[in-house]
Amino acid sequence: MFDHSVSIEQQVDALIRGPQYAMRQAVKDTLLTSILRELCQEIGRNCPPYARFLQRLGRSPADWRGLADLPPLPVSMFKQFILAAVPPEKVVRQLLSSSTSGQQPSRIVIDKTTAFRQTRALASILKEHIGGHRRPYLVLDVEESAAAGDTLTARGAAIRGVGNFASETVYGMKKLPDGDLTTDWPRVEDFFHRHAYEPVLLFGFTFILWTRFVEEAEHRGIKFQASQAQLLHSGGWKKLVAQAVSKEEFTRRTSDVLGCEPGAILDFYGMVEQVGTVFVDCEAGHKHAPAFADVVIRRPHTLEPVEVGETGIIEVVSVLPTSYPGQVLITEDQGVLIGVDDCPCRRLGNYFLFIKRIEQAEARGCGDTFAQSREI
Amino acid sequence: MKILRITPRGMEPVGDSLLPIVDALKEKRDHLAKNPVDNLVALFADFADRLLRDSRTKSLEGCMFLSAWLGSNNLRQLLEVNLNGNPAYLDGFVPQGRNYLAAKPQGLAAMWMAGNVATLPMFSLIPAILAKNVCLVKLAYSDPEGMDRLLAVLAESQANKLQGADLLDAVAVVWFDYNNQELNEQMSLAADVKIIWGGAQAIKAITALPRREHCTEIIFGPKYSIGVIDREKLQTQPEKIDETVAAFVRDIAIFDQRACSAPQTIFIEHNTSLSLHEIGELFAKHLAKLPPKPGLDPYTTMRIVNVRAAWALDQAKDVIASSDGANWTVCLDHEVSLKEAVQSRTIFLTEIDSWQQVIPLLSPKVQSVGIAFGDQKQALAFAEAATASGVARCVRPGLMNNYESPWDGKLLVNQLVRWVTLKP
Repeated sequence: MFDHSVSIEQQVDALIRGPQYAMRQAVKDTLLTSILRELCQEIGRNCPPYARFLQRLGRSPADWRGLADLPPLPVSMFKQFILAAVPPEKVVRQLLSSSTSGQQPSRIVIDKTTAFRQTRALASILKEHIGGHRRPYLVLDVEESAAAGDTLTARGAAIRGVGNFASETVYGMKKLPDGDLTTDWPRVEDFFHRHAYEPVLLFGFTFILWTRFVEEAEHRGIKFQASQAQLLHSGGWKKLVAQAVSKEEFTRRTSDVLGCEPGAILDFYGMVEQVGTVFVDCEAGHKHAPAFADVVIRRPHTLEPVEVGETGIIEVVSVLPTSYPGQVLITEDQGVLIGVDDCPCRRLGNYFLFIKRIEQAEARGCGDTFAQSREI
Repeated sequence: MKILRITPRGMEPVGDSLLPIVDALKEKRDHLAKNPVDNLVALFADFADRLLRDSRTKSLEGCMFLSAWLGSNNLRQLLEVNLNGNPAYLDGFVPQGRNYLAAKPQGLAAMWMAGNVATLPMFSLIPAILAKNVCLVKLAYSDPEGMDRLLAVLAESQANKLQGADLLDAVAVVWFDYNNQELNEQMSLAADVKIIWGGAQAIKAITALPRREHCTEIIFGPKYSIGVIDREKLQTQPEKIDETVAAFVRDIAIFDQRACSAPQTIFIEHNTSLSLHEIGELFAKHLAKLPPKPGLDPYTTMRIVNVRAAWALDQAKDVIASSDGANWTVCLDHEVSLKEAVQSRTIFLTEIDSWQQVIPLLSPKVQSVGIAFGDQKQALAFAEAATASGVARCVRPGLMNNYESPWDGKLLVNQLVRWVTLKP
């Protein structure tokens, strides 16, 4: 299937089109390394800052023996630099991260090829989890989050991506005068009433879904009978962790409100810096890497890949991007590598759990990290 | 039990109130005050000898320096600097012409310690005991980080019939959660003098606690330290540059660069001898010789990875990094600024035209400057300008983390006594 005489583009397309969880890790590691050796150098030729990064911090691409040898670019660099590997006229869209607390958002430039691949890739992954048929789609967010334009947020990209499986789309939230979001209960009730006992698809951003829908429904005593609903959700667990809401509690109470099986609630891990590449929960609650992507979990300090069962810093790898250096990204999240090729769900490859965002270590003493602008 | 007491035997829970501990300490005030200062100095000298021989302490980070610092010559010199040249003021009235002057203990010294240096509590505790104050020490972490072992060796020390164990009756080392307002207030209200080591948040919280009217506060707050290498040093003493860099690297390595005295940014005057990159390679060579770090938290790793990438992507900057993970990093640039400290063997080298460019960056936030100047007149001119801007110390590379008196512009023992007069 993967003839190395064919072009990188053809190999990537084959990976996107093919089965997503059918390749053993060793085979996948070799294949993705071979593709990325070419792709990263090509990106470097068109993006001088990335070429400098590779030259100053990585070993020579010729010495990349496996994915763990590739130098990972920190995701935060997209907040500090515009990293483009295509001229401005080829940029079809900019993706923006949801910037919290006034931080500079990540800016990701997307060309036509990347946009096409992202859409196809997300559809290919989700198809293996929720099936390929279209069904009524309830977005637990406001319509403007996914509005068309030159820029798109992480939330918008996810809403649109899941929307490829929609036969009808309904937005279940509205904006209050102060800009806050609230569930449009009559509209949501109408959606479930019209599609009672039908398979339906729901999507929401985890924290918004929890605070504006689940908690509010519980407060109002609202429960639905959506036994055939499938809910996909993604995004920040940080605030839920701060509220001491575990993933188990989230799933239990959300399924209770919807009236669906807990197994129909699927969390996926992804980020705006790698749209289209998502790591979806399987029935066993593990996140799996699709065929065209992978995860490397690295030990703090040594940055060596962890052994199974060990916690470390999550690095995500994807062959989708062609317009920016987003192929090998080290995140600001911690995860644990649960296993390789042996998940009870029978999906092959690495599988892992997301644990939490890396938090600031407690200040240890009199040495000041000293933000000059703040302190002088 | 909310309070843990750290003793030579280890840690033990001691209840939910500090008041019984405070009462017991106050009962020891007179007994402690009767010890001649020479006996105290002799006891600490014995402690210094034992520290390096005892298997419980000899491998503690910073123990070698602590032992040297506790030496009787050093402590006598420290007392002389602090006490108008005569430590005898601590033992009673000393004639001053027709009158008399003495240095009496403040009473109970309450100390809130930072958690970055295992031996740090000793640099606060020993001056307080020399000034004959009973001491209540609060550690930053429930893990004593070696303090129990230091106390065990101190308890076994002796000199002139004075036993370390007896001396420790005048000391209580405790831990409780830093958020416990009630216990922090008890500690603050018991204090005749408060010594506070720590970051900005800790300082703000502890100084906001209620205290008695006479209670004074001695603050060792958050600081930043730098280095400067002048052109003359690089051009006229090239054979000594390796030595200078090795000394700076020792300052960087100790306490994982978390101490207020550890250099974070080193400014290097443009010269005709070595390029910035060549100097960076010299730092890299010496950093690579250091033993591996014992471990690293994910947050610091992330900061190291981020700064490496930011410097690598930027055309105007450069970076040299260890190939074995996040072990050490040398960041090079020409931007005259104090870089946000990453710590953990991450040094920023900034090329400048003249040391004069550094002066506007200095303030009381900058504690120590490691100075490697070939031109001693320039060194003096720099030190005059830097200290006028608020810097506390200008010292040779290799000495930056050597705790000394004065520290942060303060003579600690002097501030731990009350000067009293007698005019018969």
